Amino acid sequence: MSLLVFYLVVVTLGILSMGFQMLGSRLLSPHFGSAIDVWACLISTFLAAFSIGSMAGGVISNLEGAARRRSQLICALAAVVSLAVTALFGRALVGQIEIAVTAVLPGVLASCLALFFVPVTALSTFSPQCVQFLAQRGTAPGKASGLVYGVSTLGNIAGVMLTTFVLIPHFRVSTLLYIWLAVAVLNLAALLRFLRTPTSL
Amino acid sequence: MKILRCILGLAVASASLAAAEAGNYVESFDTIYNSLTIERTGSVVELRARSRRGEALESAVDLSDPLKLMVAYTRSLYAGLFFQPKPSRVLMIGLGGAGFHRLFSAAYPDSLLQSVELDPKVLELCETRMGFKPTGKMPVALTDGRMFVKRDKTQWDWIILDAFRGGFVPPHLKTEEFYRECAGRLSDRGVFISNLHSGTELFHSDIKTIRAVFPQVVLFETEGRGNVIACAVKYLTPDMTQPQNWAAVEKAVAHVFEGRLDLTALKAERMAIPKKQVERARLLTDDFSPVEFLDAMKTNNTGPK
Repeated sequence: MSLLVFYLVVVTLGILSMGFQMLGSRLLSPHFGSAIDVWACLISTFLAAFSIGSMAGGVISNLEGAARRRSQLICALAAVVSLAVTALFGRALVGQIEIAVTAVLPGVLASCLALFFVPVTALSTFSPQCVQFLAQRGTAPGKASGLVYGVSTLGNIAGVMLTTFVLIPHFRVSTLLYIWLAVAVLNLAALLRFLRTPTSL
Repeated sequence: MKILRCILGLAVASASLAAAEAGNYVESFDTIYNSLTIERTGSVVELRARSRRGEALESAVDLSDPLKLMVAYTRSLYAGLFFQPKPSRVLMIGLGGAGFHRLFSAAYPDSLLQSVELDPKVLELCETRMGFKPTGKMPVALTDGRMFVKRDKTQWDWIILDAFRGGFVPPHLKTEEFYRECAGRLSDRGVFISNLHSGTELFHSDIKTIRAVFPQVVLFETEGRGNVIACAVKYLTPDMTQPQNWAAVEKAVAHVFEGRLDLTALKAERMAIPKKQVERARLLTDDFSPVEFLDAMKTNNTGPK
């Protein structure tokens, strides 16, 4: 049962990341449009966040005791606070960036970095830690890595499809950003609890 | 067997002959924004954009008579004359094949007709295949329409919104906030003109959203095509929903319009606002604009309604 909940948390992590990308496109479009150049910047920002988050998460997963717990808490807080900033001030921030940066591409990139880079990087730090969590409980490292990234990617797919075809047609983007924040708080709380549990599942 | 071969041979020969006569050329271009097709048949050149329902006719020009309005709804865009009969400064968001431009510039040679087009390839095809040449009075800005409206401070007499991407309108050009930005760039007696498509869920949301910004909205339904042109003004008086208050359109340009644009027939295209459906429709805002799911276009300017 615990293992099932663990994978549910991993799936939700994937949903939060890629669903956020679809919401991000809707935040940007009133200011910069929704053409392919905007999508290129958006996707690149998310991939950069996945990359840096994964590397940072790899380092954190090998820290010892208190340092690891402190790093986990910092990442979780960074994710929650930055998601809250996006939900509360995201539209106003993009508006200000659009005024301050007149060239389109730098404006889009600055907006993507300001709104999406930190939360997605922070969320991504937990994937390697989930691998470490399974490995420490007897799953072979290769298998643990395959399971976590496979399940997380299924979450990514669910996040894209759910957000695009169910949530955006029925809810305001601002409402969805608050839902994202609430789900992230719950999911990260559950994840921190798992990662700090020394007993085997 | 011989008879069958003869019939097949004749069929192939006649098909080849028909193809040679009908299609001078068909070219396809994939740009970063669109999948475009240019087809020349005789002197007529059509610009089409591929979408999930096939090809949508964006624009057409008859090179032997460039002033002719080939696509029916471009005639209806001139309904703006009833509301602002002296269009000195006109902003057109969406260049297409510049099907509207030639007659307008002939009728109003001193007026500024500023176009905004996102796709550079559309402008290139317009210039190289459709005989359109931007001039000082007909400049084209290559940028997003909404960004242009925000950054350019000109007060326009007409703002025409006719931006489609393969049959769909970008969501950020359909919201209350965007219409407010347009209203802010309209002169006091200016008119906002938008090309809508009836028979879609989006249609009623469109009207509701335009009405949320502009106190007076009049619709014109292009005969048999499913296009509806919305003309909206930001003043309350006189009551422009009453045709008797519409401007008597200048006779000075009647000779240019003759045989190409019948303003009396255009007046008859006026249609009532479908109030019940509009009441039920959802307002489109920057925060809620599921335009793709409301189906922007079910017809494609070519077929019967």
